[in-house]
Amino acid sequence: MTNDWVDLKNADAIFVIGANPASNHPASFTWINDTRERGAKLIVVDPAFTRTAAAADLYAPIRPGTDIVFLGALMSYAIQNKLYNEEYIKAYTNALTLVNPDFKGPADLNGFFSGFNKETSAYATATWQYQTDKVKVTVKEKDASGKDVDVEKEFSVPKQAANLDDAGTVWSQLKKHYARYTPEMVERVCGTPKDQFLQVARTFCATGAPDKSGTILYAMGQTQHTVGTQNVRAMAMLQLILGNIGIPGGGVNALRGESNVQGSTDMALLFGDLPGYLGAPTDRHGDFKTYTAKFDTTSYWVNGPRFATSLLKAWYGDAAKKENDYCFNYLPKTSGNYSWISMFQAMYAGKLKGLIAMGMNPAVSGPNARMERKSLEKLDWLVVMDLFETETAGFWKAPGVDPKTVNTEVFLLPALDAMEKEGSIVTSGRRIQWRPRVAAGPGDAKTDLAILDRLAKAIKAVYAGSTDAKDRPILDLNWLYGDDPEPDVWLVAREINGYALDDVKDAAGATLLAKGALLPAFATIASAANFDAIACGNWLYAGYFAPADDGRGIWRPAARRRGQKDPGNLGLYPYWGYTWPANRHIIYNRASARPDGKPWAENKKLIWWDAEKKTWTGYDVPDFAPTKAPDAKANPAGAGLAAQSGTDAFLMKADGKGWLFAPAGLAEGPFPEHYEPVESPVTNCLSACQSNPVVKVWATDKGKPVGDNIGTSDKFPIVCTTFRLVEHWQSGTMSRTLPWLAEIQPELFVMIGAELANERGIKNGEIAKIVSARGEIKAVALVTPRMKPLTVDGKKVHMVRMPWHYGWQGLATGDVINDISPHVGDANTMIPEYKAFLVDVRKA
Amino acid sequence: MSKYGMLIDETRCTGCRGCQVACKQWNDLPGEQTRNRGTYTNPPALSAKTWNLIQYTEVETNGRAGFYFLKHACMHCEKPACASVCPVGALYKTTEGPVVYDDTKCIGCRYCMTACPFSIPTFEWGKGLLDQALIRKCNFCIDRVSNGLTPACAKTCPSKAITFGERDKLIAQGEAQIRKYPDKYVNRVYGKDEVGGTSILYLSAIPFDQLGLPRVGTTPVTALSEQVMEYTLPFAGAWAATLAGLAILFRLRNRGAQHAADDVHKEKSA
Amino acid sequence: MPQLTRRQFFQVTAAVSGSLLLPSAAQAAGGDKKFPLHKKIGEGATICPYCSCGCGLIIATDEQGHIVNVEGDPENPINRGALDPKSIAVRQLSNSPLRLKNVMYRAPGATQWEEKSWDWAMEEIAKRVKKTRDETFVRTVKVADKDVPVNRAEGFAFIGGAANNNEDCYLATKLMRTLGVVYLEHQARL
Repeated sequence: MTNDWVDLKNADAIFVIGANPASNHPASFTWINDTRERGAKLIVVDPAFTRTAAAADLYAPIRPGTDIVFLGALMSYAIQNKLYNEEYIKAYTNALTLVNPDFKGPADLNGFFSGFNKETSAYATATWQYQTDKVKVTVKEKDASGKDVDVEKEFSVPKQAANLDDAGTVWSQLKKHYARYTPEMVERVCGTPKDQFLQVARTFCATGAPDKSGTILYAMGQTQHTVGTQNVRAMAMLQLILGNIGIPGGGVNALRGESNVQGSTDMALLFGDLPGYLGAPTDRHGDFKTYTAKFDTTSYWVNGPRFATSLLKAWYGDAAKKENDYCFNYLPKTSGNYSWISMFQAMYAGKLKGLIAMGMNPAVSGPNARMERKSLEKLDWLVVMDLFETETAGFWKAPGVDPKTVNTEVFLLPALDAMEKEGSIVTSGRRIQWRPRVAAGPGDAKTDLAILDRLAKAIKAVYAGSTDAKDRPILDLNWLYGDDPEPDVWLVAREINGYALDDVKDAAGATLLAKGALLPAFATIASAANFDAIACGNWLYAGYFAPADDGRGIWRPAARRRGQKDPGNLGLYPYWGYTWPANRHIIYNRASARPDGKPWAENKKLIWWDAEKKTWTGYDVPDFAPTKAPDAKANPAGAGLAAQSGTDAFLMKADGKGWLFAPAGLAEGPFPEHYEPVESPVTNCLSACQSNPVVKVWATDKGKPVGDNIGTSDKFPIVCTTFRLVEHWQSGTMSRTLPWLAEIQPELFVMIGAELANERGIKNGEIAKIVSARGEIKAVALVTPRMKPLTVDGKKVHMVRMPWHYGWQGLATGDVINDISPHVGDANTMIPEYKAFLVDVRKA
Repeated sequence: MSKYGMLIDETRCTGCRGCQVACKQWNDLPGEQTRNRGTYTNPPALSAKTWNLIQYTEVETNGRAGFYFLKHACMHCEKPACASVCPVGALYKTTEGPVVYDDTKCIGCRYCMTACPFSIPTFEWGKGLLDQALIRKCNFCIDRVSNGLTPACAKTCPSKAITFGERDKLIAQGEAQIRKYPDKYVNRVYGKDEVGGTSILYLSAIPFDQLGLPRVGTTPVTALSEQVMEYTLPFAGAWAATLAGLAILFRLRNRGAQHAADDVHKEKSA
Repeated sequence: MPQLTRRQFFQVTAAVSGSLLLPSAAQAAGGDKKFPLHKKIGEGATICPYCSCGCGLIIATDEQGHIVNVEGDPENPINRGALDPKSIAVRQLSNSPLRLKNVMYRAPGATQWEEKSWDWAMEEIAKRVKKTRDETFVRTVKVADKDVPVNRAEGFAFIGGAANNNEDCYLATKLMRTLGVVYLEHQARL
């Protein structure tokens, strides 16, 4: 979330698209209802009439997988009706930046952007780049004798136009691109009646006014698509156009699904990353210098190399020295993609011998789960750490499997739950809260921390004395968390937070941090002269465990604070826990003030420039250089933030701007363009390009009963979308085992509209068969007016909706819905397309 | 007049069932084994193990779907019919508002069940012949309320649909809400006058009977039940004596309520 | 680097003081004589393990540490005492008879679990990790005709949950990358 849960109370419009907070984030309704009571509007766009829709002021149906059309048309509506915040767009986004004149988009190239290579199914991005201006700047440098001399140097900076509509600007390209996204096109592609779309557009785009703010809430309804990343970008672009980023009650807010999915992502339990989003090295990074060269030098990422150094010091301690690149070579370097689907493909192919699953249940949660369970059978060994015997732990005795034929060894390690151990988790709003141990656990179960600690020690033991260079990282691994009898979580927290290995000094020699002291903030790493005297496991968490005032003069580790003060009454609660980064609650908050530093409106005041004291001040921690004046000029010769101006509100971006046009970072193009899901009931109405052209579709064992099979609408005419219930959680391990939750949602069901049920002769409460190209499952039919067919491109399209949580273990059971979902994923993130695939529904 | 009441604004309810589980948690009630019968409503009805139940209503008006929720539990009548028919005074209205029940007095005659206009009291049907089967229903978390705490259901509600407070103030609050948003609500606070008034009050967007609240009129049911009791009381007295005798013999079994709630369904764990 | 004990750590962070403030709602069982509270409200403040709202919980336990009551933490600004059904049901999560109590092992082709000790399991797992790692380790790959050290253990994978604490996740990422694991994924991908 760019903002926070309580901040929802500051919104004038709440636009929910691809989420169901009434079910999946019920606490949000405290704040949603709070602002609705004062007149704010709740808008829900969803394939089904959900519990959130039941509360909405405006509801509009949409066909799964067509969000870009809806969001693109909203942008177009805001542009055509001049509802955008022009001052905001000009100052804070790249709208005025000029794009390479050779850039062409789907409007010109029938669905493609310029640079597509048919052989590799990938884009060359040369034509997506900005035009640049050469600027000459005189800089001081030392000559051979060590004397300061003036040297004239040339720098490239993105070329800016004077007016939004000048030829070649991002803005003019954007207008052209989304001119094709009309209310009529929304009706044709999304199936949303035009009048309902226009109601949504009028209501939400009204938040483009400077004294209004609108928030977008989304969840996996946006991400679990082959165009998931572009869905999210489309929402961010709409919010930039309306000037809704950085302000109270605004933002693009991902309602994350698990209690610590934010933290587990921050800690980089993903192949492509390192803690704090530093990015995992690849085989192009032969040494530390090459690796650190990947960080932008004209944004706050100029500090990336320092953060990476402090990470390596935390991991390899005294062994990490400047001379040996701080043990950079110890880190594995990737060659390609190792994400979930690739992993299970490798497992299916027999390339993986072992798997350790910590609180994960892929036998239920993986796409094409039957194939993923088959992959588990090919492992030599499997370690499962969990609270219960999950479907994954017991995959060898799944229904229809003969255990005697499965040769995988399984180690099932009993873990303690959240109440039975100590540590911290992060909310969707980036607020880190500490949990003490408050209950006893069963039997001989252990904390995950203790299990990992024992595992590390056991592995160190089997490698003890090795002289092989490949084992050096294990022997040098800095692993000192005590053993009395368990590791001390406070010591782990100290390492993540960061601490001084020696006295840390600034360039002038003044001590910033005494040896042994905890790092108060990542700014210390950025300003230290001897930054390699700091060990910090995750720079974003710097300060989370350092002593901090709770607003009452009581000092305690920041994440453990329970202070109630709320400056500005915006619901920021800066003394409760610790919000990364730097206890900043609304990120990009420089944009909450006008370019001149004054708030957009008194009722949306967050931070502002105090001209007298020459500093930024306000209710939140400024997401900006604290003393950089609004009229400060960018210095092209400067490093990091010095290269950015007083209105460059997006300081993590190389040009300091919010990107309406993405010159880099996305596989399928600089603007979100609609492509149909890989399995779709219709042909793409916008172009000849049916589905995402750069998406990877696997074809392992295609045509076999268990394989990568893709269905077509002649056999599977119905769109199936998966969802989650308030009564259960994820693969159900922590909910289907609880009698109170099993009681209220006891079985797998399928939501079917009355018309479709009638057509197929299925009555409410009967068992229905749901069939896809991957196989068949059974579920109780819930015949309901909450599901309705849509008219798409003149054709009637039925939809069914199924909850995600069921498996054969526990008290509430049912077939595994993912047995019928496909092994295809987003082109950037590889998140599976769980939200839109084709099925048929029959009477069982 | 009851001191306390709860105003339930069903337009704020999102049907999350926090209150349904919070009720079980505070009162140490076990989960029931259920099936999906083509509805979210589960268990199917109030029972000795389920004192508070969210009932789901799906309607279609002019081709548009509607999804409504009713928090169904004891209404805590101002003039409770259940109390008036109870031959042994096991059920009674407290000055705070809750209609409560005394296990030690109940004889299991079940008159209260027939008398209640809202079909609230339930019987421990599953108990064996020699176990004393008792009447069960919501007790408005009387122990919490009389110790200055909010009832479990009201405290837990994330959408703030349930407001606990002084009944007369809640009526005023409900009526003010209707005046503020006349298009959103049915123009009446249900429970203000129903059967002579109830401690539980409702606001709704759709007619109350469509939501699942019965049309009961404004006359207290006690007026009728007291007449009936004149004839039945002698029989009840004899029945009471028999059951009370049995109860003394078998009462003090340890029911282990505290951990009963944590047991898995017996059928499954066996 | 010296190993710190918790006590030394306290000295390092000497400015940390004060204990967790107990919520005002926490009170012992008892009270009103006519209708005494039938159990205590609780005193352990923690955070719900399900969705990402981060609602505060107040937990009461019996003498054995088993949870007897769960309700919302009224001081937590996110939920102000409110909770959804899953949050409240954490009591059954902790007390469930279905919870795993011991290390279990299933041999190749076996039809049953067998109970094992932690020491045995950890040693055996470490052996499996070593064997697989040693057999499948990739030291270098050719990039533009140059050998680039890549230090990859390609033969095994780690998938971590999104309900684990930050500290758990941190140790997992640190240990796995040090072993050379590149098939490192978790729930955020799904």
